[in-house]
Order: sequence, then structure tokens, then C-alpha cells
Amino acid sequence: MFAVIEKGMKQVEKFIPMRHTDIRELMNFKKTPLNLLVAFTTLVFLVLFVVGVVNYLKHGHHAYGVTREHPWGLMIAMYIFFVVSSTGLCIMSAIGHVFEVEVLEPFAKRAIHGAVVTLLTGFIVIFLEIGHPFRMMIYNTISPGMTSAIWGMGVLYSLYMIFIVVEFFFLLRHDHKWAKRFGIFGLVVGVAAHSNLGAVFGFLVGRPMANGIYYPLYFILSAMVTGCYLIFLMYGFKYKLNFPDEMKKTLEATAKILGLLLAILLFFEIWRMLTLIYGGVPERAETALHALKSAPFLVGEIFLGILLPFFIILFSNAKAIKTIVFASFTGMIGIFFMRYDLVHETQVFPMQTLKLREYQLPPSFVEYFPSTTEIFIALGAIGIAITLYYIGDKILYLETDPD
Amino acid sequence: MARYGMALDYKNCINCKACEVACKEENGVALGADKHRIWVGVKEIEGEWPNLNIASSMFEPSQCQHCENAPCQEVCPTQATHYAKGGIVMVDADKCILCSYCMEACPYDARYVNDETLTVDKCTFCSDTRLARGETTTACQATCPTKVRTFGDLDDPNSEISQLLAHRDHFTLKTHLGTKPKLFYLV
Repeated sequence: MFAVIEKGMKQVEKFIPMRHTDIRELMNFKKTPLNLLVAFTTLVFLVLFVVGVVNYLKHGHHAYGVTREHPWGLMIAMYIFFVVSSTGLCIMSAIGHVFEVEVLEPFAKRAIHGAVVTLLTGFIVIFLEIGHPFRMMIYNTISPGMTSAIWGMGVLYSLYMIFIVVEFFFLLRHDHKWAKRFGIFGLVVGVAAHSNLGAVFGFLVGRPMANGIYYPLYFILSAMVTGCYLIFLMYGFKYKLNFPDEMKKTLEATAKILGLLLAILLFFEIWRMLTLIYGGVPERAETALHALKSAPFLVGEIFLGILLPFFIILFSNAKAIKTIVFASFTGMIGIFFMRYDLVHETQVFPMQTLKLREYQLPPSFVEYFPSTTEIFIALGAIGIAITLYYIGDKILYLETDPD
Repeated sequence: MARYGMALDYKNCINCKACEVACKEENGVALGADKHRIWVGVKEIEGEWPNLNIASSMFEPSQCQHCENAPCQEVCPTQATHYAKGGIVMVDADKCILCSYCMEACPYDARYVNDETLTVDKCTFCSDTRLARGETTTACQATCPTKVRTFGDLDDPNSEISQLLAHRDHFTLKTHLGTKPKLFYLV
């Protein structure tokens, strides 16, 4: 099998400049404690993924912690987490190589690589959430529900994937003219797809916590924040915090953009919460207060996701790029909670408020906690993303072109 | 063209749950608390002793509202949820991909996962069972001992439901959402 893969790689090499790497070289890396830790964690995650998928295949949605009242759970949150990362990386990459902001150009290729990897991982996760994924591909095409945001999202994300893969192909071939053209298409379709994903929640007329314009806008903004965090993580790991001068300039510029984006995100969050709570509108205000008092929101979203990185950038005048790498790690934890919370908060207020059975209390806020299978698949998806990124990093030339 | 709806004289409900049983029996709905197409909600007595508002305690039978502007139909990516003959909101099990978006979008919690077909299911006004056999009532209506439910054609001015709605005050649930429900609660 390895021989077939290597033969296939040689064919690909004719079209894309690649490092000639055999399987043994691919598995070989510098055995530093950090590298070993990442490798071991990734391996564990991949094993958990297999266990989770086997359990899902055996028991279907019963293996997940979802219920009639809370039909969407961790899988949807992880799908959003990955596709948000993809859009964010695509936008950040486009600032450099499409809009030619020179200082941000060095990460263009690596960011698009990350965008492809996270998008593919997102697709794997949603494949394990949709009950009939193959039926989806057939009936999304021959019986399209055009008023559905999920249909729009499916179409746009499929187009987005094509555009960014082609964009990446031309970037690897140093063909800037075509890379730029496909970059523009990828950017426009990516933003459309991603805001459409926000509309999946924003269009829910029966869920006042989600209904409205907020999510489509917030998805794009938080995607850019995620893109910045991932760029810091990718380069922090690549250079083991010993950044060359050119990269320092690039990351300082990225940190300034990140600082601005975080300030806007904080501004968005404050006004969102005030608007939701103000006036005490039934259902909406109660749900918002419930969310506001929860640890995932306060500690996860606000402290780890926004405040900590923001203050590091603010007080270091965007110069402390090493610290920002660590803050990007906590930032990504915060970003995860942003996705998890938005899925959970949307469903937390029960649609059925009456007591239906004896010996039962009237329904209150809906409880949900992910099952072991969901947690295994979610961690496994992170393992898949790291593995795909590692393979790309090993065999492709992801740095700026010599010209 | 018929336009089916249901009127509920809900103050007559005695919470015997015969309708829930009849629905499960007629439509092959699985046992279990989460697997129900129709239900009887209980509004408990409001106030504190000795000022208890006994009139506030009542039973509210409910189910899919067969909305004329159904959020579940609007969000379905494959048109599995559709308006069938008579404006009945139905699910085509062959097209349902189990994305659960309709469960998310329904403001009435009227949908559940059918573990046999592995699709999202809901009340059909017995259109594929009793109505298909030529009956004119739904299972829940036929079994109700206090005649809470009246199923019929809203477009026929002489139908029992049209007469009830013409002569008695009524309301619908979550009307402000613009879903135009076809389940009418008689006051």
C-alpha cells in the first residue's frame, strides 16, 4: 500500500512542488519534549476518534447526549469550531496575498493550508452528526430546500472548498495571478458560507436568543479572531518561539489586528448581552441571564477567549508575540466555548413549558452534557486536524515564495 | 381544496391521556416518554395559600400545529418536510437526512426522532392511517371522552370546525411568531 501511495505522490509532484518524502521520513521528526508531547497527544486523540466512531456506528445518535429538547450537541459545536477556523484563516490569508498587504504575506500559504485542513476536519465531524449523510448529498441536489440556511450553507461550503483547494494549488505553484483570482472567489464564497452558517441560528424565529442579525455578523468577526490565534499557534510551534526578524514583524502586525478584532468582539458581546437582557422580555432575557451567569461564558468565552489575549496585546503594545502564542492557545479554548455556548444557549430555553407527566416538575432550562462518544470524536477531530496539518507541513513548501 | 385544522375545547380536557394512547396505537408511535406526537400539558395552580387561583389550573392538549407558515418546512434542506394535500405538514421519510434542523426550528416541540425509520417524525392528522381509510376523524378525536377535539376542513363553511370557530372565541399558540397555526383553542 505504501508503494502505491509513494507512486501516487510522484505523479502529484509533477504538478505541485513537493519535498520528496517517503513514509519513513514522514514519520520522522525531531524528538524534542514538545514534539513528543504533541505526537503522543495526537495519537491518543486518533485512537479516541476510532473508539468514538465505532460506538456511533453501533448505536447511532443514541451514543450522543442529544435529546428531543436539545437535538444539537457537541458535534455541531465542533463542526462550527472547525469551519470557523477555516474561514478565519482564509480571510487572514487573503489580506496578505489577495489585498497585497505586504507585511501579512508571509503566512498566506500556511494559512490556506490550515483553512483546507480545518474545513476537511469540519466535514468529517458533520458527516458523523447528520443521520443520513449520503442521502443528504443526493437530496440536497435533486430536492433542494432553497429557503433552508443549511441547504445554502452546504452549497456555499462545497464551492468554498473547491475555490480554496484551487487557490492553494496555484499558491504552491507560485502562480500569483491565478492564486489571487481564486483567492477572491474563495474569500467571497467563504464569507457568504460562513455568515450563512450564522443564519442557521439567526433564522430560528422560535429561539429569541439566536434569532436576528447578530450571529451572521459575529461569525465573520470571530472567524477572523480564530484565524489570528491559529496563525500564532502555527508559527509559534514552527519556530519554537525563536522567530526570525521578518516573522516578528509579521506577527506584530497580526497582533495589532487581533487586538482590534478582540476589542470589536468585546464591544459586540457587551451590546448583545445588554440588548438581550434590557426590558426583561420573557424568554429572551431569562435565557441571556442564564448564559451570562454560566462559567463557560464568563471564564471560557470572555476571559480566555477575549480578555486575556486582549490585555496582553494592549499592555505589550502588540510586541509580546511569544506570550501571545500562549494566549492564542487559551484563546482557542475560549473560541471552543464560544461555539459550544452558542449551540447550547440557542436550545436552553424549553419550547415545551408545561408539565406533561405526573411526578414531574414543569420543564425548566434544558440540560445537556456531551456523551463520552461525542467527547472522543471531538478530541479525535482535533487529532485529525493536527495530523493533516503535519503531513502538509512535511511534504509541501508552505513558506513565502523566494520572489 | 380542503384546509385541515383542529379546534380544541381544551377546558373540557380531563387529562385521561386516552388521546396519547390512541395516537400511539393508531400511528405505531414507539413507547417512551420522549416519543410522542401529541400530549396533554398541565398548567398548575397559581398563587399561594390561601389565595390560590383554582381557575388557573387546567389541561392543555397539544400537538403539531400544522402551521400555514411552518418554520420546520422552511428550514428543511431537502424538502422532506412539505405541505401535503389539505395543508397538512408531512415528512417524506425517504428524503429526511436527520439533520434535526426542524426539531430546532419548531417552536412547539412537536417533533421527535422515529427510531424505526431513523427520521424526524410528527403528527400527520392521521392522514396516512385513518383518513387514508376513509375515516373523517383523527384517532385522538375519536377516542376523546369529553369531545375536546374537532378535526375538519377550515375552508368548508358548513364543517363542524368552521361553525365552532365562527361562533366561539378562540386563540392560537405563539401567534406572535407568524407561524399561522391551525390548532385553535376554544375559549
